This record gives sequence, C-alpha cells and structure tokens, in this order.
Amino acid sequence: MTGDLHEPAAATCGGSFSRRSLAIVGGLIALGAGAVVPTYLASDFALRLGSEGLLLGLLALSVAFLMNQAGLVALGAASIYGGAGYLFAIGMSEWGLTPTAALGVALLTLLAYAAMLGALIVRTNPLAFMMLTLAAGEMISHAVLLEGLRDYTGGADGLVVRINGSIFGIDAAHFADPAQFWSLAWIVTVLVGLAFWGIARSRLGAVLRAIRENEERMRFSGFNTFLPRLIGYVLVNVVAAMAGFLHVLNAGFVSPESLGLSVSTNTLVAALIGGISGSLGPILGGLLFSFAQDEFGARGLTQLLTGIAIVVFIVVFPRGVVGGLSGLSKRLGWRREAS
Amino acid sequence: MIALLVANSLALASLLIMLSSGLALIYGLRDVINFGHGAIYMLGAYLGYTIALVGGFWLALLLVPILLALLGIAFEYLALRPLQRRSHIEVALVTLGLGIIVGQIIIYIYGGEARSVDAPKVLSGSVTILNMSYPVYRLFLIVMGLGSCALLALWLRFTSSGLYVRAVSQDPSVARMMGINADRLSLLVTSLSTAFAGIAGVLAGPYLSVDPGMDVVMIVNCLIIVVIGGTGSIGGAIIAALLFGFVQVAGSVFLPNLAALVPYILLMVVLLIAPGGIGRGRVLS
Repeated sequence: MTGDLHEPAAATCGGSFSRRSLAIVGGLIALGAGAVVPTYLASDFALRLGSEGLLLGLLALSVAFLMNQAGLVALGAASIYGGAGYLFAIGMSEWGLTPTAALGVALLTLLAYAAMLGALIVRTNPLAFMMLTLAAGEMISHAVLLEGLRDYTGGADGLVVRINGSIFGIDAAHFADPAQFWSLAWIVTVLVGLAFWGIARSRLGAVLRAIRENEERMRFSGFNTFLPRLIGYVLVNVVAAMAGFLHVLNAGFVSPESLGLSVSTNTLVAALIGGISGSLGPILGGLLFSFAQDEFGARGLTQLLTGIAIVVFIVVFPRGVVGGLSGLSKRLGWRREAS
Repeated sequence: MIALLVANSLALASLLIMLSSGLALIYGLRDVINFGHGAIYMLGAYLGYTIALVGGFWLALLLVPILLALLGIAFEYLALRPLQRRSHIEVALVTLGLGIIVGQIIIYIYGGEARSVDAPKVLSGSVTILNMSYPVYRLFLIVMGLGSCALLALWLRFTSSGLYVRAVSQDPSVARMMGINADRLSLLVTSLSTAFAGIAGVLAGPYLSVDPGMDVVMIVNCLIIVVIGGTGSIGGAIIAALLFGFVQVAGSVFLPNLAALVPYILLMVVLLIAPGGIGRGRVLS
C-alpha cells in the first residue's frame, strides 16, 4: 500500500534501484510516523475509535482479499474474529494455560476449523460459498449460546478475560492503553496490508485470479484449483483471528455480539466503502466506518446505514473511495498509468 | 409418538417449503440468490400482525400476499432488471443490503420486543385423531404447505408458463433463443416468490413468534435448504425442506442440548457426501 502510494514520487528519480530503496525508506517512515504521530495529536477517545477502525480494517482486508483475488465473498468473518477471543479466554481460564500458550492453542484450533470448513466449502460455486459462510457463522454464534457450554462461554453474558502475566514479553496492561494499542494495531495492520499486497503479486495471487475467471479451464490446464483456494481461505482467516486476538487483548472481554452477523456485514461494508482492490481501501474503509458509527450509532441507525451502504457502494461506487479517487486522479493526469 | 413427530416436522416444513421454493424459483430464472428473502418473510409477518389487529387473521392472509406481490414487482423492476448485467455475486450482495434495510425499518417502526398473533377461533384448540390430540392450527399449516406445494407442481408441470420456467431454469440461453421472454417470466416468478414469503410470514405469526431476529433465522434455514436441495432445484428444495423439518423437530426431541446445531450438522454431512446437494440443480459457472 505504501509502495503504491510512493511510486509516482519515486518515478521521477530515475533508476529502478533508487526507486525501490526510496519506496522502502518512504514506507518505513510512513509506518513509523503512523504508529507514533497520532498518539500525540489525538485524544484517547479518538485513538480508541481509530484502533477499532484499524481492527475492522484488518477484517476488511481479509474479506477484500478473498473477494478481489478469488471472487469469493465470505460472510462469516465474525465467527473467526469472535471465536479467537472466546478460545483465548477459555484457554486461560479453563485450561490454565499461560497467555502466550493460550494464544497459540486458540490460533491452532482456528486454523484447524478454517481448514476443515474451507475444505468443505471452497469446492462449491461462489454463490453457494457465500451462503455457506453465512450459515457457518450463524452455527458458531448459536453454539456459543448452547446451554451445555454455558460454563465455558458464559452464555449471553460473555466472558471477562483476565490476563495474568505477559504475552511475547509485553505486559498485558500495555494493550489496554489507547496510545500504545493504536501503535500496535497500526503496525500489525500495515504489515498485513503489505503482506496481502505482496501475495496478490505472487504466484498464489495469479493462480487465484485465474481460477476466479475460469475454474474449469484452470482445471483442464492441469492446475490444482482446490488447494490454492483453500490456502487463500485459511490465510484470510488467520488475519481475522489476529484481529480477534487484538480486540480481546484491548477490550478485556468477549461477548456473543462479537460473533454476530452484524460484525460480518460491517466488515463487508468497510471493505466496500474503501474499495476491495488493493490494501489501502479496506484499512481506510475500516477507519471511516468506525468514525461514522460513532456519529450515527447513538441514534440506532448503524445497521440501517450498513444496509444502505452495501446497496449504494455496489450499485453506484463499485470501486470504493480509493478506487474512485485513483480513477479521478488518473483522469486529471496526476499520476502515471500503472503498468 | 412417531406420528406426532412427523406431523410437527410437516408443519415446520410447510413454512420452509413456501420460502425455499420461492428462493429456488428466482435462482432458476435469474441465477440470483435473494438474501433479502428472510426480510420479506419478516415484513409479511409484521404486516400480518398489523392487519390481523385491525381486520382479523383471514383478511391478513388475503391482503399480505397481494401487497408483497406488488413489492416483488417493484423489486424486479428496481433491483433485478437494472442489475442484470452485473455479476451474480454483486446482485446477491445488493439483496443482502436491501434485506438489512427492510429489517431495520421494521425494527425502527415496531421496536425490539416480540409480538404474538392469535390464531382465528376456527383454528385454535385441538382435535383428536387416532387417540392423539393435535393443534388444529398446525394441521392448517400442513394443509397450506402441502397445498401450495401441489399447486406449484401443477403449475410447473401443466401450464405453458410453468413449462417456460422449467426451460429457462434448465438452460437460459437456449430457452431465450427459442423465444421465451425471460424478463416477463421473471416478473411473474419474483412476485409469486415474495407473495409466498408473505403467506409464510402471516402463517408463522400464530405458530412461531413475530420478533426482530426472525429474518436472519429464516434466511439461514432457507439457505441451508437450498444448498442441501441443490441450488436452483425446486424438487430438491422441497425434499430438503421436509428433511430439514424432520431433523430439526427430531433434534429438539432427542438431542435437546444440541438442537440448535442439528441443521448445521445435516448441512455438513450432505456437503461431505454430495457437494452439489441432493437434487439435480443446474451446475453454475
């Protein structure tokens, strides 16, 4: 994302080596500045909203990647996001694990779940995939409320997460601090954005796009069309799990709402607002959504606006804010046509 | 015991058949899954509740399908036709968004608490059949469900418009080349599908409750049924709805702790055995 932004500036400087190193330096400066500068300028409240936006942006990155590269719309992001929080909490309180171990166990469990579910559903057509992710998400949110699991999940009340000790050497108290959490969330989000940007340009991205265009032809050409889609599906779920872990570390509790369908639709809207092609759009979309939610949420309008946003952005602005802006700047001749 | 189980699952399946066959019909013609179908069902239920308060249950059962058929016509002209050049996924997302809008407007008007609708006098109480007492309203549901199922089958089998619908569902491009006007058919099918969703909503009032979460619950159930039945296969959807009803009712009797998960387990098992579903739906690109 940063590379993409800095390309036009670097292009005037000539050689490919200096262009690349300039892009890297520029990217690192942007990464550092984004992590530090807002913590001095913004209030704690704005930082909290911003961090929420970044986590939503992480989720939106995962949904947008699968939509853009594989043509698959996942409506079950919430089950991984909320599930990560639940598993982490249960690992510490019920199984007596250290926070780091609980994190590892939760991630492995989610990986196994995503791989099994993915193996079942990526074989189907994109429309069925969308229906099945919705159904699987609802299954998880029903499972958490089961009477038999009440001792583990706390039923409708959710769970308070007490973290004793440190995670990867970071004391748990730091995660609750708005400024420090913003820095962490920013760095994770930007790195994930860069990773997706890289993967989209790798062989995996190319194969996924080819399968999206014509699955049958790829199969006839001797490609395995199942495995790349499964890898893509598991990959985006790892990112959704990261967002879930960050959320629970910051908030200190998990509730059934974090598994709800509205989390998945909010994610979809964030991705659509920003634009699904590229990494900048979903992150920006997450931030925009978070601040808009603060504006309208008090009047109970969030879900209504979510529905309107889905319709408007798909029908009128299918490329989102970032796609629209880059199209505008191209038309005005501000940036060179990307090759 | 077994008879009671079968009767209860038929009652539930009746509602599911009305909703999921509508979904399968639209899918067959337009290749679009209407994610807003649950919201239309919810709209039917709330409209039914309001009309039943004023003019009684029977008036609601008559008026709601007419109103929702009009909504279906609007849906066809304002959403499906303008978007028919867009990808199916995008149209499906638009229906998801429209469904959220409808659901939220209903919640905005009626508030968050559940409403209950009383069955009309004729249908309240129970009858004794084979030494068993059974609620009349559920028998009425079964009759309505199986009746609409039979009407649908007769229409598809014995009328020219039914023939055209089957033809487009099997092969849209060849059917169009043979001079079938798919747009006109789609208008008919969409309004039929929303009207049936409305009937299901009115019928659900006295049987299930009328509450803000009913749209999501129902659309998820219907999606499971459509996938199990083989996307776009109407016969498959009907059989899957019967299977779903039976599994859910049996689950709540024999596995009360896991009842909420039983439909999903059924879905996973079917997907594992037959990824395309049990019916012969059209394989989609």
